[in-house]
Amino acid sequence: MNYDVIVIGAGHAGCEAAWAAARMGASVAICTMSRETVALMPCNPAIGGTAKGHLVREIDALGGLMGRAIDATGLQFKILNRTRGPAVWSPRAQADKRRYAAWMRETLDREPRIDWIVGAAARIETDAGHVSGLVLEDGRRLGCRAVVVTTGTFLNGLIHIGREQIVAGRAGEPASEQLAASVRSYGFRCGRLKTGTPPRLHRASIDFSRFDQQRGDEPIVPFSFLSHRLEREQIVCHLLHTTEDVHALVRYHVDESPLYNGQIKGIGPRYCPSLEDKIMRFPDRERHQIFLEPEGLDVDEIYVNGFSTSLPREIQLALIRALPGLERAEMIRPGYAVEYDFVQPTELRPTLETKRVGGLYFAGQINGTSGYEEAAGQGLLAGVNAAARIIRREPLIVGRDQGYLGIMVDDLIAQGCLEPYRMFTSRAEHRLLLRIDNADLRLTPLGRAAGTVDDERWAIFEERRARLEKNRSRIRESVCATPAGRVPALRALRQPEIRLSDLVATRQLDLEDGSTALDVASLETEIKYEGYLRRQRSEVSRTRRLETRRIPAGFRFDGVPGLSNEIVQRLSEVLPATVGQAGRVPGMTPAALAVLAAFIDRSSAAPSP
Amino acid sequence: VFSTDDTIVAVATPPGHGGIGVVRLSGACAGRVAVQLVECAALEPRQATFTRVRAANGSPIDEVVATLFPSPRSYTGEDVVEISAHGSPVLLAEIVRAAVEHGARLAEPGEFTLRAFLNGRIDLPQAEAVADLVNAVTPGQARAAFDQLNGTLTTTIAEIERGLFDLSAKLEASLDFPDEGYHFLAPGEARAAIDRLAARIDALLAGATRGRAMREGRVAAICGRPNVGKSSLFNRLLGFDRAIVTAVEGTTRDLVDERLDLEGVPVRLVDTAGMRDAMDEVEAEGIARAGRAVDTADVVVVMLDRSRPLEASDRDLCSRTRGRPRVLVANKSDLPAAWRLDELDAGAIELSLATGDGLEAVRRAIGEAAGAGADGRDLPSVTNARHAALLERARDALGRAAGAAGAAAPEEIVLEDLGDARAALEEVTGARTSEDLLRHIFQTFCIGK
Repeated sequence: MNYDVIVIGAGHAGCEAAWAAARMGASVAICTMSRETVALMPCNPAIGGTAKGHLVREIDALGGLMGRAIDATGLQFKILNRTRGPAVWSPRAQADKRRYAAWMRETLDREPRIDWIVGAAARIETDAGHVSGLVLEDGRRLGCRAVVVTTGTFLNGLIHIGREQIVAGRAGEPASEQLAASVRSYGFRCGRLKTGTPPRLHRASIDFSRFDQQRGDEPIVPFSFLSHRLEREQIVCHLLHTTEDVHALVRYHVDESPLYNGQIKGIGPRYCPSLEDKIMRFPDRERHQIFLEPEGLDVDEIYVNGFSTSLPREIQLALIRALPGLERAEMIRPGYAVEYDFVQPTELRPTLETKRVGGLYFAGQINGTSGYEEAAGQGLLAGVNAAARIIRREPLIVGRDQGYLGIMVDDLIAQGCLEPYRMFTSRAEHRLLLRIDNADLRLTPLGRAAGTVDDERWAIFEERRARLEKNRSRIRESVCATPAGRVPALRALRQPEIRLSDLVATRQLDLEDGSTALDVASLETEIKYEGYLRRQRSEVSRTRRLETRRIPAGFRFDGVPGLSNEIVQRLSEVLPATVGQAGRVPGMTPAALAVLAAFIDRSSAAPSP
Repeated sequence: VFSTDDTIVAVATPPGHGGIGVVRLSGACAGRVAVQLVECAALEPRQATFTRVRAANGSPIDEVVATLFPSPRSYTGEDVVEISAHGSPVLLAEIVRAAVEHGARLAEPGEFTLRAFLNGRIDLPQAEAVADLVNAVTPGQARAAFDQLNGTLTTTIAEIERGLFDLSAKLEASLDFPDEGYHFLAPGEARAAIDRLAARIDALLAGATRGRAMREGRVAAICGRPNVGKSSLFNRLLGFDRAIVTAVEGTTRDLVDERLDLEGVPVRLVDTAGMRDAMDEVEAEGIARAGRAVDTADVVVVMLDRSRPLEASDRDLCSRTRGRPRVLVANKSDLPAAWRLDELDAGAIELSLATGDGLEAVRRAIGEAAGAGADGRDLPSVTNARHAALLERARDALGRAAGAAGAAAPEEIVLEDLGDARAALEEVTGARTSEDLLRHIFQTFCIGK
């Protein structure tokens, strides 16, 4: 069999990659070890969160699946940071893991250009430096023109539970050792990272009456720009806290943790510390939060959020039972840490294609990231670009000023990873421009040009864009009553205390029929933040100049005088495509950048012989 | 201009005759060029070697001390050789010529410092300070430049930047980690912290006025009626006779000026023609110039004659200069007074140039008016216009941030303005990335589920 694109892995990155490539007209195969583990959430049962919610909106704006999947199957929805500014509002939802996975598999099943290949990928074949096929562990060979590798924690995965070490990609699933060797054989710079997950408990063994309740928002704000009102009963999560007893127990047993006895070499995420880390590194904190989150409506498993640990099973159980309200809890599965191979993402181009092998794309944890949303975003971009290369279209590269997706890719390829990379809003230098209410305005036209936005989504988008334009003129032409008398609506709305939604509710201002809460949010922010937005836009156009100053291919950084050896080495690894990107290489100083820019200008003005 | 692969040479000491003169070489071949210049086979690192230097034609021309500073522990970070010869311009030029003959290139102005900067030996403020130090006229100027070279100013700005960074990190943490059960910042704390940082920048900027005076020097014009003793004061402050002093009114017809050090501040002292109705065209032009000098000087020294009644021109001059940095001097206090000091709108210093009484007080007053100030030694001086501009930019941004925080604007808006302030300070201290910010948050707080 021959395909345009083969996607190895069917996690969040793999699903989006396959879907996007198929949408663009490529013939696609998803190679997965099992059809039962598609779009699995091996860790927390939630989608979104700060900055991650932005990523989901952006994936959706580009025609991806994640937003629709969680809207269809989510159990509890919230907008985080609701009391703060609109640029940091972030949607998050508790997921029903089984239903989410089923929705995703069924949606991919309905796409005629996607085939499923059940088996373990073993070797990526190349011809003259370009991908030509994939060989499976059972010996089958598939021809293809591009491969997207989305293997998560499977490359040389090694699970730790106390002293137990199990070679596995996830609990109960075999690791990919042959594929790991195949990837390494191309000379990529690889490293080891670590992540972890907490234990799962039996729902019936927990006394929920003892805990504070955490509820969702009403009405529900959906993720997808295609979703209308979501009406459903929302579940409740519960909050409890660790106690001094638990802390004392952890301190007593800490030597049995593979994190603290040298058994684990990989570097874990600082923003998601294990219970051991929380207690040992922050001894002054009297207590830590723990959230109990169901993994689905009709499943028994309860996820113990905030309790990630790799201590031995029996100690995990003792720790759980030391928590007030969990004295009789039964553990279904222990928490564990997992180490896995990743490839330094400085090996990648802005398209997520590797620099060493043409047609080979990486997305997700293999690039050193963590998180379902980060993986899905990269999967989408890798899928689009793999297909674009084959059908000879322009690649899809999102700018840092256009989306968190662009920030993520640029950070990865310019800086590489020292620990699992997670998205935060503080990574965005133009945060006010990158809001959840305008993700479609920023990205849907790009998706349309790339070929991932279908007619239905495009029609909805164009309607919204036209509606916003009409509403802007309505606001410009309106006058409304304020305590200070009748003033132009535009001026009134610049006051922080006067809200557009109130003016609309009291009929002081009529918006177009069909205007949504999302529209109101966009209009209001545009008015209230006008000065700041204008300033950020002018900063963007200033930095664009650096972003468009290209560094010629094959440019030798060791030929630039005045650069330190360290900087020359980093630049030679990253091979930045533009002066702007070079400026973000770690260790780069403004002086070094000025020297580099001057030298590039000089050598391009008078090409050296 | 950015090429650093060749070896450069220049005379490092000021032009003119002196006890010694230094020729400096810097670059990968500095050592090789040097041993061709001198009569010894090799130079020991960091050891002064007494030897003879040869001209381009090979004949010895002077006895010198040569020292090799190998890379990277040298001024430029490259191999550096310093040759101390006798301080004759002709001789030094001959040594440089010989060095060029042996493969060195004549250095552009400031090129040694540029290389030190490019090689990471000094940061930008330090590089700027080197130029200031070399050009310093007074000891106070030299000390201010030296503060900067030592990084005292950089250190102070870096402290402010750190405070700003920490505040930004806490605000960022409250946005990125809303579920942690943390109060990263108590309500109102952001505003208070912004105000504290703004006050520190204000203090540095207050010193900037003094710093600018220190760097650029100040113009002090002595003015008054004819024959009140302007030129005498000018000469006495200078310590030598520069202006012609006679008892004839209208002797000084054009502006006469000279540089001097007053309380550590470099001052260009200007003697002007006496203000009266001119007797001829030349004097009329001189008086017009005196008027312009009075209007444009940084400090005006108004001289009055204590022994003769005040005239309309005296009162005109006093009102013309009111509210500006000025020193009122009542000269000829050794003679019987013809008016009371409280007839003036401000206090005047009594002076007798005949006895010398009051001269020190006048000198001090001019120095203070020119920005010397008794305080200010505790804070490093901002003598550099670039630093002052960056600090002012940071201060403006902090003002906006304080306004936003005070009006309970969202954190993302306050952070915008704090970001502008940080960007300005980072131009002095070096940039920090969002990764640094996250690292700071994770080190300070236990974050994550």
